[in-house]
Amino acid sequence: MQNFWNPYAQLSSRQRYGLGIISVAGILILWSLLAASGSISPNKLPAPWRVISAMEYLAWSEGESKLLVATLWSAGRVAVAGLLVVFIGIPIGIVMGASPRINAMFSPLVDPFRSAPVVALLPILVMWFGIDELMKILFLFAGSVVYLVPMVRDAILAVPQSYWIGARDLGATPWECIRRTVVPMAMPRIADAIIVSVSVMWTYITVAEYVNAKEGLGQLIQNARRFSAMDQVFAGIIVIVALALITYQTMRWIKQKLYAWETQA
Amino acid sequence: MNAVTTNPAAASSILQLKNIVQEFPTEDGKINRVVHDISMEFNRPSINMLLGPSGCGKSTLLRMMGGVRPFEVTTPTSGSVLIDGQQCFGPHNDAVMVFQRYANRPDLSVYENIAFPFRLDLWKKKISTSEWKARVDSVLQAVGLMDKKDLYPHQLSGGQNQRVALARALVLRPRILLMDEPFGALDAQTREEMQSLLVRLHQSNPCLVMFVTHDVSEALLLGDRVIVLSTMPAIISDDFAILEPRPRGNQWLRSPEAVALQERVLTRLHQASPGKGSLRVGF
Repeated sequence: MQNFWNPYAQLSSRQRYGLGIISVAGILILWSLLAASGSISPNKLPAPWRVISAMEYLAWSEGESKLLVATLWSAGRVAVAGLLVVFIGIPIGIVMGASPRINAMFSPLVDPFRSAPVVALLPILVMWFGIDELMKILFLFAGSVVYLVPMVRDAILAVPQSYWIGARDLGATPWECIRRTVVPMAMPRIADAIIVSVSVMWTYITVAEYVNAKEGLGQLIQNARRFSAMDQVFAGIIVIVALALITYQTMRWIKQKLYAWETQA
Repeated sequence: MNAVTTNPAAASSILQLKNIVQEFPTEDGKINRVVHDISMEFNRPSINMLLGPSGCGKSTLLRMMGGVRPFEVTTPTSGSVLIDGQQCFGPHNDAVMVFQRYANRPDLSVYENIAFPFRLDLWKKKISTSEWKARVDSVLQAVGLMDKKDLYPHQLSGGQNQRVALARALVLRPRILLMDEPFGALDAQTREEMQSLLVRLHQSNPCLVMFVTHDVSEALLLGDRVIVLSTMPAIISDDFAILEPRPRGNQWLRSPEAVALQERVLTRLHQASPGKGSLRVGF
């Protein structure tokens, strides 16, 4: 128990995974005991083994994989909204960071929404854009762009001024400084912003798919709830969490490969 | 960027400062004068030391010579800087700066850092690809970093990083090299190495070097001319030439001539501003 209270102590990966497994196993055991005791109805808390068999059923039954189809639909929506966010949100964040005047003009339109309940926008989006794909994509877009834009702006502002001065002294025009010095140096933080906004989209996907969805993981969960199939609700939630985790870890890995200089600098 | 007015009277000097005054507004609404009526002239490629206590306004003066304006303040407040007889307003193509914190890009390799200026339109138009590649190779050779060209700044020592910064300035073949306490953050041995590197490079490629330092020995070891500045506001409190040929060793620094110069500098500084700022003294 040496170094128990020491934020800077290094853990071996064995220790780290071991301690993580203890807490997850603890929850599983508690969950199993509660379910097996029969004190809570299976309609409220299905046993872990029933969730597993629901997962198997969803993964393959009646000649189709409901889970795979739903996953592809949800992932597709996240991907389309993600591309929109990247191609619209990043340029806006960059110009806001690069010019105090543009920032002063646009930040009242962007900053308040960081703490606003974006879910409350859903009825408005339904009114404006109907209940089809367009509404779902725009909802995901709106939900994450309000995080992305300020983060990209802050990434630009976090680049030390000395690099700007150095590039200006070498004869760079202001725009060249932004393009050749500030943006390349802000890229690791911009990548962080993309990672956060994609993670946010995975939390909003279910909400988007509760409304008139014919496909997707949110619809799968909603549908199962309607038939009181709690085991399928749990299975759907676990799949979403797993997908979000896999996307997050993959994007972090890619970021570290692309911007290895960040951690050493 | 460089609005230019011609002044035929000063056509012979490389760099001329005329009645420079610099004031910055302070937070409580007062006006803080950091440079007071400084005039000087430099006519030939030489090493000139601006010596003064830390925070005396000498870096401000140096930035003016290169036209660097870090903040939204007019530089200078009054007076003018003339390069080749032409008044300088913005960053000047003939004057390149080397900073103490070297400003090397962590995301670029040594080679890319040195070649960075040639990615800018200004130099792309002036210098062909084959020409700049040849220049980068020769400057890598000159600062002794040829075998390190693919490494990144975090893999280099402080001295090697400062070599990269020096190389990036020299690759543009500037007529004026502005050095803002470039070796101030280095350990004593590395500082000595860098000083002799600078002397060697200057001998093979003479240019006008303006070198800011608060280290008396450094000023005496490197300077053809030493300009002593007092603090707040900066005014010239002494200005003398050193004729001893370079390289000057520690041996010379202990000679009666050098010791006398050192005494002189310290006396001047204490007269002008007793107890203000700090100077590095000793060998």
